[in-house]
Amino acid sequence: MRSFLILFKNELKLNIRNMNMVIFAVIMPLIVLVILGLLNGTKLAAEGAEYTFMEQSLSALCAISICAGGLMGLPLVVSEYRERKILKRFQVTPVSPIKLLMVELSIYIVYCMVSMITLIPAAMIFWKVTIHGTWSAFLGSWLITMISTLSIGMMVGGVAKNAKSASVIACLLYFPMLFFSGTTLPFEVMPEAMQKIVSMFPMTQGIQLMKVTFLGLPVDNIGLPVIVMGAVTILCTVVAIKCFKWE
Amino acid sequence: MQEAIKVEQLSKSYGNLLAVDNISLSVKRGTVYGLLGANGAGKSTTIECILGTKQADKGLVSVLGCNPRKDRRKLFQKVGVQFQECDYQPEIKVSELCEETACLYKTPADWRELCTQFGIGSKTKNAVNSLSGGERQRLFIVLALISNPELVFLDELTTGLDTKARRGVWKILSNLKEKGLTIFLTSHFMDEVEALCDEICILKTGKVVFYGTVEQAKATSGCDKFEDAYLMLSGEEVDGE
Repeated sequence: MRSFLILFKNELKLNIRNMNMVIFAVIMPLIVLVILGLLNGTKLAAEGAEYTFMEQSLSALCAISICAGGLMGLPLVVSEYRERKILKRFQVTPVSPIKLLMVELSIYIVYCMVSMITLIPAAMIFWKVTIHGTWSAFLGSWLITMISTLSIGMMVGGVAKNAKSASVIACLLYFPMLFFSGTTLPFEVMPEAMQKIVSMFPMTQGIQLMKVTFLGLPVDNIGLPVIVMGAVTILCTVVAIKCFKWE
Repeated sequence: MQEAIKVEQLSKSYGNLLAVDNISLSVKRGTVYGLLGANGAGKSTTIECILGTKQADKGLVSVLGCNPRKDRRKLFQKVGVQFQECDYQPEIKVSELCEETACLYKTPADWRELCTQFGIGSKTKNAVNSLSGGERQRLFIVLALISNPELVFLDELTTGLDTKARRGVWKILSNLKEKGLTIFLTSHFMDEVEALCDEICILKTGKVVFYGTVEQAKATSGCDKFEDAYLMLSGEEVDGE
């Protein structure tokens, strides 16, 4: 445990020094929040809706950092460490691969948390956003969305041949999920066929679940998102650990 | 147990290239062992097969009585390694790299003291990137010794060091050997090998061409100087001589 904490502290410092994630996972969601807030203020999501546009969008904003960390940050850092032979140096020490992966995973969990706890108070203070559902249901949905997305990142970092192919795979996952899962383009405006395809993204399921739990809408089918995200998490974690390569 | 490392009939090839060809060697505890040979003779591959970071095609390897691939986590509590090519996280500081390495071991050495011994005590707050080549080399020796190892592997340990720094490193290693440390090294500097090594092994295109002490190497080759003996035994004599 002591070595986990020291590794975590140092790796987090290095990650912050690098600034990429600070910008993409913390500052960018805040900028999007401000833009949406200035454009929409406190107006309702639709005529007769019981919640505002900002309340409807908040879940998707919380997902930006999850996307950035899980589909960009995590796969790139793991594959870069392998390519630069930093993992090889760890290979000739007593550290276990699982511990190293958990250290990196925890760092991105911290980013997602920081992003959420800056977004929600800001939205509450400036645009009078309130939660209509329960915090526990919303945080539960956020947690499972985050863990499933980060597990994808861990797997990509684990199986990619080098940093370059990791970055290609990361882009192939990151941009479609960012645009089509409801993070930027609302799910509701997509054609039905497209909705079916993007429903298979764990991110889409996650955002939908976060949205209904935040807005307090009736959850008619909680089984599907939980099963999709749970299956993704288990599959990706197993592959990431089984296929872990030092070099 | 007297043997720190035992290797029997080790072979490893990359595609058609036979990098290590049926090598056997044994290293006694508390001694310094030198693995010599030209670039590409198979030294680094041999070390990697011994450490288990590469899978040998055939042969037996035992390090401190352990199988390096199966008992990795137990073995590397007691073994330090300095690779020829090693890298570090971009923007990491000396203190962070040392701290991160030390925390992996049950009974690590005091890394500040090691840095001071190796003459980089005043650089611990600097970025590793900003160190000179020689300072970085010494830092990697420090990292190999942080575990308080029983056995240390040093691949080209003093490459890039100036004369004074090399002598300093020799002295520290000799002191550690007195305290019982076993050292397995590769080097291109024959003065260093002569000063440090109890036994040597010379490789040529993956095969062992000489095995014994420095004195035996001189006697076998009939040369007075060890460097000449090495060149003759390894078949690397300069054309026209």
